[in-house]
Amino acid sequence: MIENARSLNIVASLILLVGMVYILGPLYLTLATATQSYEFLLRNGLAWYPGDQFFNNVARIFTETRIPIQMFNSLAVAFSLAIATCILSFLSAYAIVYFRIRWAGVAFALILATIMLPVDIRVITTYQVASNVFSPVNALLDVSGLNGLIAGIFGAPVQLELSVLNTHFGLIAPLAAHGTGTFLFRQFFRTLPGDLFKAARMDGAGPIRFMVDILLPLSRTSFAALFVLTFLSGWTQYLWPLVASSTPDMQTAVVGLARLLPDSEGEVPDFPMIMAGAVIVSLVPLLMIALLQRYLVQGLVLSEK
Amino acid sequence: MTSESTLFSNRWLPVLLVAPFMLLIVLFFYVPIFQAFYWSFFLEQPFGGGSMFVGLDNFARVLSDREFWQAGWRTIVFMVTASSLAVLIPLILAVAADRRIRLSLPARNVLVWPKGVAGASIGVVFAFVFNPFVGILAPLNKAFPGIWAPGIDGTDAFITLIAAHVWGGIPFNFVILLAGLQSIPRTMHQAAAMDGAGPWRRIFDVQLPLIMPQLFLTLVLEFTESVTSAFALIDTITHGGPGGATTLLVYKIYKDGFSGYDLSGASTQTAILMVFVILLTAAQFVFLGRRINYER
Amino acid sequence: MNAIDTAIRAAAASITVKDLTKAYDPQTVVIPPMDVELKAGEFTVVLGPSGCGKSTLLQMIAGLERVTGGKILIGTREVQDLEPKHRGCAMVFQNYALYPHMTVFENMAYSLKVSGTPKAERAERVAAVARMLGLADYLHRKPGQLSGGQRQRVAIGRAIVREPGVLLFDEPLSNLDAQLRHDMRVELADLHRRIGATTVFVTHDQVEAMTLADRILILNKGRIEQFDTPKAIYHHPASVFVAKFIGAPPMNILAVTGDGSALRLADGQVVANAPLTGAYQLGIRPEDIVVDGKADGHAVKAALRFREDLGSHSVLAADLGGSIVRIATPFGMDIVDRLELLLNFPTSRLHLFDAATGRAIPGALGAQ
Repeated sequence: MIENARSLNIVASLILLVGMVYILGPLYLTLATATQSYEFLLRNGLAWYPGDQFFNNVARIFTETRIPIQMFNSLAVAFSLAIATCILSFLSAYAIVYFRIRWAGVAFALILATIMLPVDIRVITTYQVASNVFSPVNALLDVSGLNGLIAGIFGAPVQLELSVLNTHFGLIAPLAAHGTGTFLFRQFFRTLPGDLFKAARMDGAGPIRFMVDILLPLSRTSFAALFVLTFLSGWTQYLWPLVASSTPDMQTAVVGLARLLPDSEGEVPDFPMIMAGAVIVSLVPLLMIALLQRYLVQGLVLSEK
Repeated sequence: MTSESTLFSNRWLPVLLVAPFMLLIVLFFYVPIFQAFYWSFFLEQPFGGGSMFVGLDNFARVLSDREFWQAGWRTIVFMVTASSLAVLIPLILAVAADRRIRLSLPARNVLVWPKGVAGASIGVVFAFVFNPFVGILAPLNKAFPGIWAPGIDGTDAFITLIAAHVWGGIPFNFVILLAGLQSIPRTMHQAAAMDGAGPWRRIFDVQLPLIMPQLFLTLVLEFTESVTSAFALIDTITHGGPGGATTLLVYKIYKDGFSGYDLSGASTQTAILMVFVILLTAAQFVFLGRRINYER
Repeated sequence: MNAIDTAIRAAAASITVKDLTKAYDPQTVVIPPMDVELKAGEFTVVLGPSGCGKSTLLQMIAGLERVTGGKILIGTREVQDLEPKHRGCAMVFQNYALYPHMTVFENMAYSLKVSGTPKAERAERVAAVARMLGLADYLHRKPGQLSGGQRQRVAIGRAIVREPGVLLFDEPLSNLDAQLRHDMRVELADLHRRIGATTVFVTHDQVEAMTLADRILILNKGRIEQFDTPKAIYHHPASVFVAKFIGAPPMNILAVTGDGSALRLADGQVVANAPLTGAYQLGIRPEDIVVDGKADGHAVKAALRFREDLGSHSVLAADLGGSIVRIATPFGMDIVDRLELLLNFPTSRLHLFDAATGRAIPGALGAQ
């Protein structure tokens, strides 16, 4: 198009520049500070240029904090969460979309409702449930009077106890109780031509066959997008991993990092070391974004639809 | 789209497929929610000493607590300011990135990075960057002592929270809004140009109206999220201070429940907060949703 | 209503293109230097296959594409460096490009709003155009609530409300079904009669070209093959390309050799008497070939390969010395299944083309 958009383009370039500075600024400062020593920090404050203490600080992270094992926890949690979410979402979306069942609408509504209230809102009672996953069973037995019956026969009511706190499963489960993935897959399935299904049936494919041979390969990009999105979300969770783990060795890296900051005012915290920790903790997700950005963007756009 | 001929007729297989997920959701979503409402009617002893039905006493207690209302007010203030900025700034960035300029491509790459640093890591980073003694504003403090004191001045602390929240919110909203802008067909721009509208004018007459659905969506999601996601930032940067100035409702609930062991009070507040969020979401859909959808 | 008609007729400007070139890079030349003049008030159809440069030409006239070289004049003004809004052109897009968030009224009034026309005048002009196009009852609807044909009328209304000097159409009928396409063709012809705007209409459909155009500009790989009235193009095609592009089924082109006194086909049969030597391409339209009858030409034998009965006529495909020739039989003619046909090529209906360049050689035989 022939038009004079120069003023607009200049303004746009400036805006993008400012935006990029706003984003990269804190990241750069973190990295630069992580390469300086504590004394440097006390003397000069913020580091505007890199120093030579990076590996020193990193080494201290490894020797003085529990971050290494917490990184492992984060990896386990994020990875398992992503896998679990992918599988569960795919299966549930498949069941809801491709079967003639009357309860499809209800099931989908129940699943979708989970998006409205993220885990951070329901943390108090989720913690209680996690401390005894059988509590609803117990409650049901109590309320229905069955326990009274059982107590009469066996001498004691049924009171099951199983705590999943401070376990990997407990860290993951409430985070996986989230309907975004199902929604994503459902939207994706609806974009597939109906003729695909009919052709498969003509070829004699049953539901499992259809799912494995046809749907699964076609859903590759959705899987990738959901995986990346959920992995990042799992890695960066804070409140739930904080309360669901009682020992530092079970905490996730992000929680461990936050614990490095002193609670109260007083001396200046050892920011170089903490920033080194931040760099290490953020390395995995940032790498993921750098390499798999295409899928991340796809995931964000799909979830919008 | 799915007519009768495109569905399998098995009865039990779908149940089997959905069951694990349903179990998970019921156990870790619906039971906790139900329990929150349930407990708000009981006085829970924290160490398993049984519970006592107290009717609406908990609600009365919570609703007459000044701290609760203050936390609620702060939450709303945060919600409005932080969410608006977290949508407005990405919007401006998206409009800028949509133009065919050299910075568009690198910007689109870089603006997604905060997604990897989300939550508490941002808090840690911003706690450092905005530290009054060694942070980016330290020189300012040296020149005008006390001008930036998030440890003492509640507003400064609040500002730090908002800055951190916006920083973390840019990727998601930026990507959605940019995708919306890029889905506007080129011929629409051409037609408007032929009608005499220059590039500045087209931003307001063509681009903004046509991304209303995406704007609406990001706003709705932002409102909901700002109510809850600020916890990580608060716990790392301000710890609710100074003097409770940044104690939002979600933080207060955590403190009451896990430090104060006031399970009933925390549950009650949780119940109230949940109802608020649900009503908010519903209201947005009802009032705004209908006006936004038109065919392209 | 007459006010709009006369205003547009008065505003109609000629379009002159001098040495116009368009190249995306030195290797990709879309339009080599082109010179053409379109008269004011004329309905010109730019016709050609995909990729021939017709849309590019249109967009350069509109100002939506930069020219690489040369000049464009609208009336007497040089416009190739001007923005679209300063050229006095209006365009109807293939997908209409209506603003979905504005009502029909607002869509049509938008250009007037941008140029600062006072509100009352805007309402008046839009109302007049709406009446002319039968849209008066739809002014408060949004495009999403209209049918395809109605949307197109809104797109047209949006263009003419500006009383433009030049009206540009970019394949506007491609998205309509056959019946609607036919109806819109009639409406467009009617509209042109009324307002007499200088119109440039791009299409790949030769039926639209033949029925709507005052003159057709046929493009092939950016070059002008022929620029003439539909009748002239049909009866006197300037090249093999034009001959095969216009007419359905297309003109038959046969390779012939002249031996000094007659033109012979590949199998030796004489198809015409002419004092020519060398290789040529010979053209004859399917409906001009006479089967079994007497005409002023030569009779040749051909083997019938295929027959399609279309109700009003049949199309036969016959093997003539190795090439397939199509014949359109007149109404009522009964072709029983035969293996051999006697075809008569009337000399007056033959077209001769250069074997290498494909350009027509007029006057060598009867038809030219």
